[in-house]
Amino acid sequence: MADAAFLALTVITIGSAIAALEMRSLIYGSIALMGTLGGIAGFFFLLDAPFVALFQLAVYVGSIAVLILFTVMLVKRELIFKMIEDRRRKFAGIGLMLIIMVSLGAVFLDSGIKTITTDELAVDFRDIGKNFVTYYWPALILMGLVLAGSVTGALVLARREDVEDDQRTN
Amino acid sequence: MSVIAPNFKFSKFIQSLISDVVWFVLIFSLIGFPIIMMVLFFIPMPVIDGELLTPFLAFTYLADPTRTLPIVQSFMMTDMFKIMAFPGFGFAALLAAGTIFVERKMLAKLQLRVGPFYCGKFEGILQLMGDGLKLISKEIIIPAKADKPIFWAAPVLFVASAAAFVALIPVAPGWVVADVDLGLLAVFAVIGFFPIVTILSAWSANSKFPFIGGIRALFQMVSFEIPLILSLLGVVMVTGSLNLSEIAASQSSFPWILFLPVGAIVFFITMLAELERIPFDLPEAESEIVAGWLTELSGMMYGLVQLGTYLKLYAFAALFTVLFLGGWNGPMIVPQFPMELVTEGIPLGPITAKIGGLEPLLTELITPEMINGVLMFVLKTVGVIFFILLPRGVFPRIRVDMLLNLGWHKLIGLAFVNIFIALALVYAGVLGPGGLQ
Repeated sequence: MADAAFLALTVITIGSAIAALEMRSLIYGSIALMGTLGGIAGFFFLLDAPFVALFQLAVYVGSIAVLILFTVMLVKRELIFKMIEDRRRKFAGIGLMLIIMVSLGAVFLDSGIKTITTDELAVDFRDIGKNFVTYYWPALILMGLVLAGSVTGALVLARREDVEDDQRTN
Repeated sequence: MSVIAPNFKFSKFIQSLISDVVWFVLIFSLIGFPIIMMVLFFIPMPVIDGELLTPFLAFTYLADPTRTLPIVQSFMMTDMFKIMAFPGFGFAALLAAGTIFVERKMLAKLQLRVGPFYCGKFEGILQLMGDGLKLISKEIIIPAKADKPIFWAAPVLFVASAAAFVALIPVAPGWVVADVDLGLLAVFAVIGFFPIVTILSAWSANSKFPFIGGIRALFQMVSFEIPLILSLLGVVMVTGSLNLSEIAASQSSFPWILFLPVGAIVFFITMLAELERIPFDLPEAESEIVAGWLTELSGMMYGLVQLGTYLKLYAFAALFTVLFLGGWNGPMIVPQFPMELVTEGIPLGPITAKIGGLEPLLTELITPEMINGVLMFVLKTVGVIFFILLPRGVFPRIRVDMLLNLGWHKLIGLAFVNIFIALALVYAGVLGPGGLQ
């Protein structure tokens, strides 16, 4: 069952990743990108990490893919993209991909992934929280600062008063 | 009043139905029943309790409540029943249908109109059914330059997302379709799919008004998702759980709205925006951009989107109930069922009417606690839905810059205030371990 799900997810993820690159229509490409990100969320589910999986769905599929879609819809693609494609580039791309995949695979196989036991329970999200406030507290504070900075930046940008303040009536 | 069938009489309609039933019974007992018997004669039947299951015995079993009620009970415990009927789709669709009718009548009363009046003898109560039949019978028109696969898929995806949202809502203790450990995160993940479906539907119609509406919907939903998520974190902090059933069960003494009113207000406003309801109905602004992102949808595609919208409305109201109003908790107002009527039977003069097989159903599945929980949940949810509907009769639509202004700094600021209130309550020991709970 898990193997079948793994195979299906692999096919979905890699297939839609290739489709995202190869589709001529940008909208369909970004939909395929959503499929890739959703497939990765499926992998997290298979790895007993539902917390990460749901965040993957909420953040990557729900927000980032939407932003990409939104941007793509506002683009007139004829103006920006020119098709540069010949045989040599294609083969070079395929070769590069093979080299990267083989080297990544070698790294994974070398990293002792075979000795990991797989029948452990899913990590409770409370443990994740405890680890964050004890061992990983510097990372938590750094993340908090970065996020607070970005939220403040968004607020400041939204509060821009120079542009059309005279048009506002509220 | 223009009428399709001017000579329609309700009594004639009932009469024709009754005559149909009579003919069906007559033909079935004269022809159908012998045919079933003949077919069953050639099929090897199983032996149950040392008795060969003859066709006559099978029909006898069907009329025996001690044999059929356990089947009903085990069916009610299946996932299929939960998904399709009770805490899932059927229940939500029923409440959604009620919502549509109440909305139209209440708005009419608020604006000194009559509202639906003719369908059904009483106050247009069959109007919704008539509208549904109309939508089913209408032609589905696809714009010539539309992107057909996405255009066809979008309404279905919209209803599917809404149904996935409904599946996460616990209605009574143990009565939930998907009891996910990280239920609230799953809710956030599901909410994230609505803007995608909306913008894809809007883009694929290849028409101006849907696209403008879709872009507005995207702005609105994406920017209000942030205060929505932030406003619910306070509840997670004081509960210490993301499971919606546990959150509802943790409010057995008091609802969280007493301690986190700011979060409840922020969530309510973001809920209005996510549902595209007045005063935030810019994506559908019918006086500016025809019908917004729904403009090109016709026939049952439009019907599906409407169904999805109202399912979503129910789900959001139910989420508010579960998170802030205590879900199924409430005073026990359903009386205990007199069990001796079931165990000993009802004496009716010389005989005693006794229904066997009813006892496990009433003690295990449909207990008074469950009925009371459902009643409390429905009462609270209906109240929240009423407050969602009410602004439609009162407020005008706001501008898009006011909307983004509200979402990005007022609501996010208030959501942070709510988080600090929750933290203060937990660290001061008012709530959480050692505190009130």
